[in-house]
Amino acid sequence: MGKKIGIYPGCCFQGADVHNYDILVAFLKNMDLEEVLLDRSACCGGGVIDETNKLIVYGLNARNIALAEEAGVDLYTPCNTCYMIIAKTKLALDSDPKLKEKINEILAEEGLEYKGTATIYHTLNLIRDFIGLEEYKSKLKRKIEGVKVAPYYGCHVLAPNEVALDDPENPTLLKEILEPLGVEIVDGYKNEYTCCGYHASYTNPQQKEQLAVKPLEGAKEAGADLVATPCPLCHKAMDGHDEPIIQVLQLINVACGMTPEEALFHYNKTPVNLAL
Amino acid sequence: MKKIKYIARIKRYNPDTKESYWQDFPVEVEDSLTVLELLMYIKDKIDGSLTFRAFCRSAICGSCAMVINGRAGLSCKIQAKDKIRNGVIRIEPLHHLPVVKDLVVDQEPAFDKFKKIKPYLVPDPKKVPDSLNSESLVTPEEFKLYDKQTDCILCMACYGSCNALEGEEKYLGPFQLTKAFRFIADSRDGVDIEERIKLVEDHGIWDCVQCQMCLAACPKGIKPAEDILELRRIAKDSGEDNPGTRRAKHWFADVFATGQIDKWHLPENAFGDEVGKEMTKQLEEEFRARGLKEEEFGPQPFDGIEQFQKFLKRLVKEAE
Repeated sequence: MGKKIGIYPGCCFQGADVHNYDILVAFLKNMDLEEVLLDRSACCGGGVIDETNKLIVYGLNARNIALAEEAGVDLYTPCNTCYMIIAKTKLALDSDPKLKEKINEILAEEGLEYKGTATIYHTLNLIRDFIGLEEYKSKLKRKIEGVKVAPYYGCHVLAPNEVALDDPENPTLLKEILEPLGVEIVDGYKNEYTCCGYHASYTNPQQKEQLAVKPLEGAKEAGADLVATPCPLCHKAMDGHDEPIIQVLQLINVACGMTPEEALFHYNKTPVNLAL
Repeated sequence: MKKIKYIARIKRYNPDTKESYWQDFPVEVEDSLTVLELLMYIKDKIDGSLTFRAFCRSAICGSCAMVINGRAGLSCKIQAKDKIRNGVIRIEPLHHLPVVKDLVVDQEPAFDKFKKIKPYLVPDPKKVPDSLNSESLVTPEEFKLYDKQTDCILCMACYGSCNALEGEEKYLGPFQLTKAFRFIADSRDGVDIEERIKLVEDHGIWDCVQCQMCLAACPKGIKPAEDILELRRIAKDSGEDNPGTRRAKHWFADVFATGQIDKWHLPENAFGDEVGKEMTKQLEEEFRARGLKEEEFGPQPFDGIEQFQKFLKRLVKEAE
């Protein structure tokens, strides 16, 4: 078994979206990483608990990080939003000793302590910094050829700037992760960086629908067969339209030798067909 | 002074011909120029017809906001050399506003929306004396609540990079909502909170998609998307009942009960109508088709949930 990594299972890895957890576990296995499931972790707040109180969001996520630190591992989540909110919390606590002290006082109720030692990973920086791009490439067993893929980052890995995982003005990391899979990259398309609208799903569903199709249509216009996103929420918002979209982890799992069925392609609403 | 070579790729618009196009200006200039100084250099030395709006050059008048490499900001505050990507700087006008010429946009539509939120203080007679002989006191703690938001210079960088406006052009916009929050938070303001909240309900706080681009754009470090969350909290606490406030209530209750949200019941809980019920029913059918057992439909409390609930109760108490 390889290196240990703490898995933070946000809402998009349980209940209605439990298949995303299976996709994640398969990816870890393919990358020879050992999963340490943070099974007492709680919802990051999703930007909604902020509507109750920001301190609660800091507390919840300091606790999530503290659980990883207690287990002696870093924290990894493939969800853009979970990543952004947890990383924002880490920034806030690491730069404000008073806040950290206050939160730690409350965390002591559960015998936990936020130290600030764990790194927060998302798929993008996990592959770049934790696994390493060369090591990542060495795990790939076959090329997925004959398919034009449009990378779609989603918002929360590029903004706000303080937690961005790549140069927001010229990101290349997703391309560097997708290219070794053998696919042809189509980038620079219209609405490449337009939000998927997921977070308006309940507050204004019409708004969500207007936005979700824009990157898909832009990618298709530019000649892409498929859009690939690292974020399960973006995927959820954009899947089910005319143009197919897939999660980056699913594509990686196929390149690591799994069949599309094993990579759970059948849970995608819009069928994704790869000529393997 | 060191000189560097690069290409300024500028989006032009000619109002006479209605033609919009990108034009490359290869330059060899000092490496100390701001983007605004670069534009002034091009206007002075290469093409006098290049049009942009600017005034103070000190990031305070808010005239020169534009989109640079896809991100909005003040051109006078940004060093050109930091913006070179593959030998090119891309400069275009703010999005979501009609272009007048080249980099100049018509700000009126955004100001029209701004007027809708009553962007001024209506003195509360209980707080603000009508005589000049006594003062209207604001404590440092009171001012802290909206101190940052008063830094807004109405440059519209947030507006010009807003994703919610991409989907819904009637959306009020980020700086408008930040200002709405600023006046609600002001202890001297005499307008009822309910009335101020009503002003931001229609194509306001619930249209925001929380993409965080306004945080990335603001030259003053204001966080409109976070102010919008505050406004949603105030709307919820003042008794507003809509899918947004219902979502927030159920979200917190779910997290308290199990540590996680219940996406299965969220549609019927948030929408509270037939459409929501139908969505929840559809999810149920999906789960059954997948062969999931009913206890797997929604989250189950994790081991040690009582301990977590104690923690959360204490957190809520501290937060009050």
